Amino acid sequence: MNTGKAGGSKSETAIVKHLDTNLAYITDKLGKEQDIVIREFEILTSSRVAMAFISGITDNNAINTLVMSMLKETQMTESPASTEDAYHFLMYRSLAVGSITKFDNMEDVLQSMLEGSTVLLLEGHEAAIAAATAGLERRGVEEPSTQTVIRGPKEGFSENITTNMALIRNIIKSADLRIEYIILGRQTRTTVALAYMQNIADDKVVNEMRQKLKGIKIDSILDSGYIEEFIQGKKYSPFPLLENTERPDAVSAGLLEGQVAIIVDGTPFALLSPVTFIKFFQSSEDYYQRYDIATFLRFIRFGSFFVSMLLPSLYIAVTTFHQEMLPTPLLISIAAQREGVPFPALIEAFLMEITFEVLREAGVRMPRIIGPAISIVGALVLGQAAVQAGLVSAAMVIVVSFTAIASFVIPSESMGTAGRLIRFMLMILGGSFGFFGIMAGLMILLAHVSGLQSFGVPYMSPLSPLRINGLKDVFIRVPWWAMNRRPGLYDRQGTKREATDMTAAEQSRGKKEGGGNE
Amino acid sequence: MNRISSYQLGSMIILFLIGSSSLFLLASEAGKDAWLSIFLGMLLGLVLLWGVNLTLYRIAPGKNLIEIIFIYLGRPIGYLLSVSYILYFCYKSIRNVREVGDLSIMFLLPNTPLYAINLIICAVAAYTVFRGIGAFFRMAEFILPFVLFIYVSLITMLAITGVFHFERLLPVLDEGIKPLWDAAFPELISFPFGEMILFLMFWKYSVDEKNSVTRTAVICYLISGLAIMTVNMLTLTGLGHLATILLIPFMQLTNLISIGQFLERIDPLVALLLFSGVFFKLTAYYFGAVIGLQAMIKLPAKYIILLIGLLIFIGSLQFKSYMEQVYVGFQFNLKYHFPLFQIAIPAVLLVIVAIRKKIKERAQ
Repeated sequence: MNTGKAGGSKSETAIVKHLDTNLAYITDKLGKEQDIVIREFEILTSSRVAMAFISGITDNNAINTLVMSMLKETQMTESPASTEDAYHFLMYRSLAVGSITKFDNMEDVLQSMLEGSTVLLLEGHEAAIAAATAGLERRGVEEPSTQTVIRGPKEGFSENITTNMALIRNIIKSADLRIEYIILGRQTRTTVALAYMQNIADDKVVNEMRQKLKGIKIDSILDSGYIEEFIQGKKYSPFPLLENTERPDAVSAGLLEGQVAIIVDGTPFALLSPVTFIKFFQSSEDYYQRYDIATFLRFIRFGSFFVSMLLPSLYIAVTTFHQEMLPTPLLISIAAQREGVPFPALIEAFLMEITFEVLREAGVRMPRIIGPAISIVGALVLGQAAVQAGLVSAAMVIVVSFTAIASFVIPSESMGTAGRLIRFMLMILGGSFGFFGIMAGLMILLAHVSGLQSFGVPYMSPLSPLRINGLKDVFIRVPWWAMNRRPGLYDRQGTKREATDMTAAEQSRGKKEGGGNE
Repeated sequence: MNRISSYQLGSMIILFLIGSSSLFLLASEAGKDAWLSIFLGMLLGLVLLWGVNLTLYRIAPGKNLIEIIFIYLGRPIGYLLSVSYILYFCYKSIRNVREVGDLSIMFLLPNTPLYAINLIICAVAAYTVFRGIGAFFRMAEFILPFVLFIYVSLITMLAITGVFHFERLLPVLDEGIKPLWDAAFPELISFPFGEMILFLMFWKYSVDEKNSVTRTAVICYLISGLAIMTVNMLTLTGLGHLATILLIPFMQLTNLISIGQFLERIDPLVALLLFSGVFFKLTAYYFGAVIGLQAMIKLPAKYIILLIGLLIFIGSLQFKSYMEQVYVGFQFNLKYHFPLFQIAIPAVLLVIVAIRKKIKERAQ
């Protein structure tokens, strides 16, 4: 990917006619390390040409072809009258490479070299030619490691933005798909792509996003997480205000609903915005599976989210303050278990929850080989033995493990994280004020999310503000033939997804076929 | 600031009016005809809503109550009236805070000090006000289906348990219409129907296309009135005469729920229902007071929110007991104080506004 003159440095060093001065500049700036390759040729009998590139980030085959074409062609032709002609010859006749750019100052030359281009400098000429030869062995297209599906495309993004954009373009073959490139990061000069559907996305959102991206002043962008925090700004919220995904089909679906995507070079995680609370509970698989099971899974997910937020605090509240709510036999059995436990329920729950969080973090960080050891220690020692030693009650172990499992049901990891943090807050409230405290906590949460907006889209829509059309894809995922409009949350209003008479046409065709099997 | 859609406005009106009122047996003096008394009170309140509050809004659209007072009554009287309205809103909020606090101690947290509970309520309310009017109304929109769902499922469970005996309502109008009237006027207008005066503070933020505010207000007013009446009637059929002497008859009624020896003691859930209903009421009054004060003095919103919140918190600790709160409320406030703010002043204001407007039109 050649980024041209996007740098715009303050003090420009012009390319001079004297070739050695130019080469000295390069070695001065980049050093004489062995990966900086400078090679000189004589072409067209007398003209001196130097080729400079950085090995490793360039494609060897491309460079070989380049050299070959340059030498071959120039040997066969008679010598030109001037260096101007030599330059012209190089530029337009000889170089066997797809994309070339002309530069007239050394900063741009250096920059294009750092991005993997090969630069040709000509003795006696004040311009340089950069040939796009970037090529780095990177991870190919693999199945995404997060957000896996049973049915649906198995391709995931990789670290290479060119591949990622190709994956999206391969899904949406439309001229309305617009991709704008922006270079961010003073030192890393990371390519960031802003993608949107020109005819679907809201112009205001696109403009605001573009402004925000351009306003980012930082020396390095290593992951889309940097951009997410810059875009969110000073608004604090435990809930994610941008969606991240590794799946090209999820990004494409988002684009087609009117969302704007940000893809960052060097990370497989793309960002989607604007986003609503509900979006984090929709998995791309929902749309590939039959709608009845997809609807059922939606309910399971919402239920699991509330379990992962609320279950420990409810257990604490019931056992501490509202014992009368339990059926008597259960109450007696819990009381018997808790008899030997030395801590109040709140401390007991905190102990177990923190233990689980430690286990989870260990599971992410530890080398794969140690895995089995950790699971034995986690399951046996911390579960079984803790109960037998009388540190915690068996019921608490059940509550904590169910909470843990429920927290993994939410398709979006960032929303799961929000639930984890909120869980601890609610546990404290439930442990000190029972149901009253939990209710107060939930009210604060509700007031918080009701006030949230993601690029002007209320976070809780389509529930509040209510959009009847948007409800087709919230708790119930209606069949595709009934979703003839887009959710109407992010896109320009009134654009349709399906032909107006889609359902009518289907039905009439069904009648003609006389209900025969399909 | 966000505009309020008519659906949000409607949700807020329903939550606000139902609030805690369906949990208590309103108009208990009317005995088994209390539900008819509520119907009468609702009609009287409708006259007030339609004739005074909504007319005021239509004559001076885009203005809240405090602004109307200042424009049409001038400075000295304006200050006096505005301050009294702000204090009235605060007082209503204080009563609701105290109500949640006391009932929580009674039913949920017997050993927790009152000030802690009231502090939490005030903090939650303050945060809600701080999030802004759009967020507050969206909250109402979000939570209304859940509240209605809980009410419907409680009533269904009661019906399955088989506690409703409609013959307890008979004979209807045994003692004539006089007890109905006595119970309805002015108590029922003061609580809850006349409280719609507060919405004069909010109407100006709502989207008003083709008179949608008037329509929404009236329809939702009727829905909540009928809902209160229904719950009231069901409480009477479930508990009979006992309902008139209990503190929270609806709570007592739900204690009777027993399905399959599993769903039995769900009164903490009812307490939560009460909590959420009253929460919206007290926060709406809190909001009214904040908006009112903002119209009077120029201070950053957060200071005003803190100031009013502190006032409400301290005020809520001033009653000596729950009984004193109820006694003051029913013996004095409902009869003398609230009608002044809900009926007398708005009516007089309406007359003055109408006359001044006429004079202005003549002059032009």
